[in-house]
Amino acid sequence: MPLVAAMLVPGSPLPMLRPDNPPWQPLVQGFAQARERLAASQPEVLLLYSTQWIAVLDQLWQTRAHLQGLHVDENWYEFGDLPFDLRVDTALAEACVEGTRALGVNAKGVDYDGFPLDTGTIVACRMLDPEGRLPIVLAANNLYHDWAQTKRLGAMAAEQAERAGKRYAVIGIGGLSGTVFRHEISIEDDHFATPADDALNQQLFAALARGNESGLEAECAAYAGAARADMGLKHLAFVLGAMGNRGFGTEVLGYGPVWGSGAAVIDFTGAGLAQGI
Amino acid sequence: MSTQGQILAGFLAPHPPHLVYGENPPQNEPRSRGGWENLRWAYERARRSLERLKPDVLLVHSPHWMTQVGHHFLGVRHLAGKSVDPIFPNLFRYNFELEVDVELAEACCAEAREVGLVGKMMRNPNFRVDYGTITTLHMIRPQWDIPVVGISANNSPYYLSTEEGLEEMDRLGKATRRAIEKLGRRAVLLASNTLCHWHFHEEPEIPEDMSREHPQNYEGYLWDMRIIELLRQGKTREVFELLPTFIQEAFAEVKSGAFTWMFSAMGYPELPGELHGYGTVIGTGNAVMEWDLTARA
Ligand SMILES: [Fe+2]
Repeated sequence: MPLVAAMLVPGSPLPMLRPDNPPWQPLVQGFAQARERLAASQPEVLLLYSTQWIAVLDQLWQTRAHLQGLHVDENWYEFGDLPFDLRVDTALAEACVEGTRALGVNAKGVDYDGFPLDTGTIVACRMLDPEGRLPIVLAANNLYHDWAQTKRLGAMAAEQAERAGKRYAVIGIGGLSGTVFRHEISIEDDHFATPADDALNQQLFAALARGNESGLEAECAAYAGAARADMGLKHLAFVLGAMGNRGFGTEVLGYGPVWGSGAAVIDFTGAGLAQGI
Repeated sequence: MSTQGQILAGFLAPHPPHLVYGENPPQNEPRSRGGWENLRWAYERARRSLERLKPDVLLVHSPHWMTQVGHHFLGVRHLAGKSVDPIFPNLFRYNFELEVDVELAEACCAEAREVGLVGKMMRNPNFRVDYGTITTLHMIRPQWDIPVVGISANNSPYYLSTEEGLEEMDRLGKATRRAIEKLGRRAVLLASNTLCHWHFHEEPEIPEDMSREHPQNYEGYLWDMRIIELLRQGKTREVFELLPTFIQEAFAEVKSGAFTWMFSAMGYPELPGELHGYGTVIGTGNAVMEWDLTARA
């Protein structure tokens, strides 16, 4: 069964919590477009990888069937709370735990009341599937896993979804250029920390738009170093892993600054992805 | 209350959640058959010291409330909830309830701004206090009957450089001291930091199986012993000269700033520290130590 959609989205809660703030409008609108496209692709499950869910021992997968609660971000608590009510495809998540072990990587399922769900996951789910209709599979970002390892995890997760016979979408949740303002700002004046960051982000978009070329990964690595990219852009590695050898193009649906850093909603398009049923 | 407040003592008070798990307090859901006794006995000694000191307030600086825009302070009088450790959810699911000395927190924040730092008050009543803060506070005072000031770890040592970051923590310490003195509080400072932070990448099947617990590597262990010996001899200046190298070679968690904040607030006393105990937790080195400033007078 097919991969029906692939996207990169930002995990910052700020655009969602202040959607009327002019500099954050492009991201809010990008999310709205992504939501429509995702719905049209009719996935049965979302495979999510969020840079903000940090693991250091095993590769963790969320295996609790129903996640419900109220999260408060440790940095952005003054902008509002983040309630969540999400359903996990536990069978597929368990398959990913086993699949990770088969790769020779320690893995565990996480099934605990009150487990701290990360901000990025909550933001992506609420912006892309506000009613929480779609079951999800959540992968943690293990700090000791590099680009290649993360890519293998993405490929494995996609393979498990294929085996389960599900129409699936893969979503990488994280930021782009990582230089942030370290002081209070007037949010209506938010802008990229440096023009160089903006230029680097644009170069990344151009590289992604050219699709699955052999030079893409080298460009991503160079970009990650120069732009201080969020977690070395591992959320992109996870998506590329899931894409496998499929050809693709990309479309930037929304792009803008968040407290100086770069953020974008990017849709992977093209012949390699299955269209609607 | 006296006119001028004072810092009574500072403790190096690390926060492996394993220590709470090993103790089996009613607030923590998982049950254990003990474990990490060296460190838990060390904390028992520290608890007795704290009982004798009778502070008005405990101030704790925790690496697991990491903030990007400045140094944040808990600013809600009463905070409660369930704290689940994201790394060790199998060991730490703790129902906490604490009282904040908001007046002192506000004073610390204001003084931090005075010395050019970005200071911020956390006013969201739904905020979930981080597991580092909670573990340190539980281990030092399980009765939870002393108000606290919770301080975030600004990510400057990681985002900028170790030296730049620790310079900020030095200023934060001086600001904290001024606030304590102005408000007439009798305060105890808690630096919630592990020393050598090299750790195993796999947990034993029985986490409290102490036949599996030892330093992750010899070099890190030697570093810990060197630093502890210097601290026991009161060679504070030498420790701070070595600190950046220690941080780099032992991956020491003191990089996050609590240790520097505490010593700066105490005025870097060349005072022998009392070692209550040392032990490893999943390979990392942890010391519970005390600097009793009242004994110096
Ligand atoms: Fe820690």
